[in-house]
Amino acid sequence: MKAEYQYLVAKLQRALAEDPRVNVLDIKVMMVAEKIHLTGQVANEEHKMAATKVALLVLPDLEIRNELTVLSVGAPAQPEAIID
Amino acid sequence: MIRIATIADVHFSQTTDGLLRPYWSSLHECADLFLIGGDLTTHGGADQVAALARELSYVRVPIVAVLGNHDYHSNQDKEVRKILEAAGVIVLEGTNTTFTIGAESIGIAGTSGFGGGFAGACGSSFGEPEMKAFIGHTERLANSLEAALSDLKTDFRVALLHYSPVKDTITGERLEIYPFLGSYLFAEAVDRTGADLIIHGHAHHGQEKGITAGGVPVRNVALPVLRRAYAIYNLEKAAHSSTGAAQGSGAISESPRTSCNTAAEISAS
Repeated sequence: MKAEYQYLVAKLQRALAEDPRVNVLDIKVMMVAEKIHLTGQVANEEHKMAATKVALLVLPDLEIRNELTVLSVGAPAQPEAIID
Repeated sequence: MIRIATIADVHFSQTTDGLLRPYWSSLHECADLFLIGGDLTTHGGADQVAALARELSYVRVPIVAVLGNHDYHSNQDKEVRKILEAAGVIVLEGTNTTFTIGAESIGIAGTSGFGGGFAGACGSSFGEPEMKAFIGHTERLANSLEAALSDLKTDFRVALLHYSPVKDTITGERLEIYPFLGSYLFAEAVDRTGADLIIHGHAHHGQEKGITAGGVPVRNVALPVLRRAYAIYNLEKAAHSSTGAAQGSGAISESPRTSCNTAAEISAS
């Protein structure tokens, strides 16, 4: 990867953390064959779509592949006993 | 036995309104308290915490929370705290609260916590003012947690944090960010005073279970770790263990099936 690509990836990672439409600190940003891949989990579809918008603002000349998954939430599991 | 339901990192915004209500509205069937380990909102906006407060209005047990780094981001943390307290949530920061449940008492001491890293690879209060401020902040919060815990004269004591006190429960995160995920100073503070359980969040890619060097169970209850609406931990005294397990050993207790612990999964998307 060209040296400057690392800085673009870092710039986007920071934007995804700092932009109020996303504010997710652990979205993984990868550049593969001049395409940007976003992976990781977000809370809902709105955040997922917002991630693409933010990515396009930061890197308008690159193709964005949004591979984020929306976190699914299940019912609580059996309790665990913590015995003193 | 005292039953604790707990979650962290719900990262609420207006678009998550209603997501957890189906589970939280029946939480009282299997828990006596609800503890929330920080990152209640996406970026600490007053509108976000108001949405969360509406959701929490369906919870019918006392709620205790600490703030997380996301809750501080908009510099409205005082307003966030005010809205939560108006909704009946007890917000801790270097403070404690106690409850009597049946014949037993429980005290919760809480702090958001902060970073600095873990024993052997941690920051020091050395160098630039900014570095000394960073570690100094963690030291002050650890001292306040220790004071709040040692003040508790209850049957059970729980420490509630956002940042992690141990490495166990952040295993899975990238090593380079360990110093931003927590500090051993919180584990040391708890081990000096003693507690029955430490609960935290913050590390989305960590593991649920860990332990301090002094043997206190640690649980990472961040929503992305649990992938469930909350975890339930039943605190029991060994002599009165309903499971009949050996003293000092943990065990998974079977509880009657209620709407709290059915296996049904509902996807959020």
